[in-house]
Amino acid sequence: MAGSGIAVGGRAPRTGFRVPGFVRRSASIVVLLLVWEGVGQAGWVDPFLLPVLSDVLIRGYSEIGGGGLLWFACLTLYRTLFAFFIAAAVGVGIGVAMSVSKGARWFWDPIVSFAFPIPKIALLPIFVLWFGVFDVSKITMTAVACIVPIISATHLGTRNIDKYLIWSARALGTSERKLFWKVVVPAALPAILTGLQIAFPITLIVSIVCEMLTGGQGLGGYMIYAARFGESDKVFLGIFFTALIGYVLIEGFAWLRRRLLVWHAETSAPA
Amino acid sequence: MNAIRFYTPLFLLVAVWQVAATASLIDAELLPSPVAIVQGLAHLLTGGDLLLHVGVSLYRQMMGLFLAAVIGITLGISMAHVRWVRDVFEPIVRITYPLPKSALIPLLILWFGIGHNSKIFAVFLGCLLPVVVSSFNGTRGVNTQLVWSARSLGTGPVRLLWKIYFRAALPEIMSGLRIALALSYTLLVSSEFLIARAGLGYLIQSLGEGGDYPGMFAGILIVALIGFAADRLYVTFMNRVLRWQDQA
Amino acid sequence: MAYIEIEGVRKIYQEDTPDPIVAVDRVDLEIQRNSIVTIVGPSGCGKSTLLHMIGGFIAPSTGEIRLDGNRIEEPGPERGVVFQHFALFPWMTVRGNVEYGLSEKGMPRAQRREVSQHYIDMVKLTGFEDAFPNRLSGGMQQRVALARMLGCDPDTLLMDEPFGALDAQTRVIMQEELREICRASNKTVLFVTHDVREAVFLGEKVVVMTARPGRIKEVLEIDLPDDAPRLKADEKADEIWDILRDEVIKAVVPGSTYGERAAG
Repeated sequence: MAGSGIAVGGRAPRTGFRVPGFVRRSASIVVLLLVWEGVGQAGWVDPFLLPVLSDVLIRGYSEIGGGGLLWFACLTLYRTLFAFFIAAAVGVGIGVAMSVSKGARWFWDPIVSFAFPIPKIALLPIFVLWFGVFDVSKITMTAVACIVPIISATHLGTRNIDKYLIWSARALGTSERKLFWKVVVPAALPAILTGLQIAFPITLIVSIVCEMLTGGQGLGGYMIYAARFGESDKVFLGIFFTALIGYVLIEGFAWLRRRLLVWHAETSAPA
Repeated sequence: MNAIRFYTPLFLLVAVWQVAATASLIDAELLPSPVAIVQGLAHLLTGGDLLLHVGVSLYRQMMGLFLAAVIGITLGISMAHVRWVRDVFEPIVRITYPLPKSALIPLLILWFGIGHNSKIFAVFLGCLLPVVVSSFNGTRGVNTQLVWSARSLGTGPVRLLWKIYFRAALPEIMSGLRIALALSYTLLVSSEFLIARAGLGYLIQSLGEGGDYPGMFAGILIVALIGFAADRLYVTFMNRVLRWQDQA
Repeated sequence: MAYIEIEGVRKIYQEDTPDPIVAVDRVDLEIQRNSIVTIVGPSGCGKSTLLHMIGGFIAPSTGEIRLDGNRIEEPGPERGVVFQHFALFPWMTVRGNVEYGLSEKGMPRAQRREVSQHYIDMVKLTGFEDAFPNRLSGGMQQRVALARMLGCDPDTLLMDEPFGALDAQTRVIMQEELREICRASNKTVLFVTHDVREAVFLGEKVVVMTARPGRIKEVLEIDLPDDAPRLKADEKADEIWDILRDEVIKAVVPGSTYGERAAG
């Protein structure tokens, strides 16, 4: 079946010329970048739609040097992280409450079920109505948008603990009260971290959109203003920086997971 | 019905909300009562425009999702089977993975302007990756990180192979599509909020700007209900398809 | 008064439904202090359920279990447990697991170190103190579980098919080591297994249970000297197997004689 080593077709493996790993891994990106630069220099594409790569980089240098772009990136990062921590604290709290209390479960289950598939970004106008266009509405919206997977994962993780772990702990003298922090939380940690890891990218996505919609300084605002004024090189710069932040955040979280779960059988980030 | 019992807390919340509104405990401007929202909804329906906006939004969302599904599944499966396809696209997938696709919306606006295409492309680009990744993973039978090994399709047994691999991959593809479905609404609404002349996002924004808050809330409710219903329908569909898979 | 008294104990699941499951039908048993008792029976006979009730993890539906005259209501450190799938705390090292019960008792660190090292050495895991359970083989993990239990110095050892998840070769070694440990200590041991040879090899007294709904079919004394060769134990086991065979057939072929409904 899929995934096993069934030989398919009759072609023998190629011997001889072997492309080194890192070349294979980056070849198409490099080619694309070269094509981009080439096409730009040759003037085949309207620079409004696709600015020349080198022009973008030069512009980038001045934008960063001018201080603006880095500051915006930091703002976006700040809002993203702030919202994430709020969502994590509240989400884990609710998830734990759900696994411990039948009443909490009865109350939150339908809310989580309903909230899961709906596009939570649709709530943004409500938050803007309530909190204005500044940071509060952005951060609230972002936190609300990413909290659902955290609640879900925490609830399931703390509920599905192997009962023999709990029994062993009790037979070793752990009181009921201490059980939660000594056994349930560490045992549920992989599941909770997975929930947090799923929520993390959502935070950045929603943060950017909020910034685009409500303006203010930040990468989202930067990009939308650039688009409205037709400055496509700045739009591309914004995209680069956003991708960079996204990469740093995702890798950072994966690293954190590996460190915290060094004891876990599968210490790798979910795809 | 069981579903109604399950959602009771939600109904209770709405009831409490209505009571609080009637007792003037809430600022009616900031948070219209459920009744007011329903009235706003009725108003929108009779106003005539609503169905047009819904139609426009659904058209964009479904086009984008359909494109993402077709291209994504094809790409994902090919990447799992054909070495050079994998070599070309894997780096691109890896690089674009951390980029929130919503960041591309301004670019799409630059390229496609205010009409349908910018929204369709926003949905397409946003939904493409989850479909590609889940098709790839499903075809390889792996649930975690992308593991690369050489494959190539022979001729002749091609159809048989597609049948085997596609079927094995189907559960994962279906669940990747579910994620893409939810994402499609998010991207649709985001892009319609930002710049549009029609569609639910546009409608919500203009109602809000015009001060018709009950109408705005009603619009948001419609979006939420559409997203919820679509997911439910999809899950039913998915269970059906997978059940046939097991039986066949 | 016996050390552990099990009186009129029954355990019924889903009692108020049309399909109640009688896990344990009626068990009366007395276990003397410092004896090694093995409980053997076919799958589903309730032997594990019985052990869990003695451990205080679940409550009997009727009847009472008393330890030293006091009714058992909760788990406690005087009754140590080892389970079939080890139940080690995966986020702690070997030493962390073994020291767990000791720190619950409030033992100071230096002393904990000493005691845990003693038991880690006893189960022949010296050198693996800082390893995490996911790096250990099944047999090694079960040794950690043993050390963890013994470290707390409980008076009673409850073992729920502890070698069930191990391969046959490891099982043989573990049985021999456990036998040594048990006979050298003055603890009361209750050992549940489905393996008759294991039951006879390890136990001084073997309790044979019927198929579900489980009752005690027979209690046999094994008077083999401590250093008896395994062959002797296996011969005795074959005698007992005849007693057990009917019950196993009933368990394996459902619908024969004993159904799953509660009487009455």
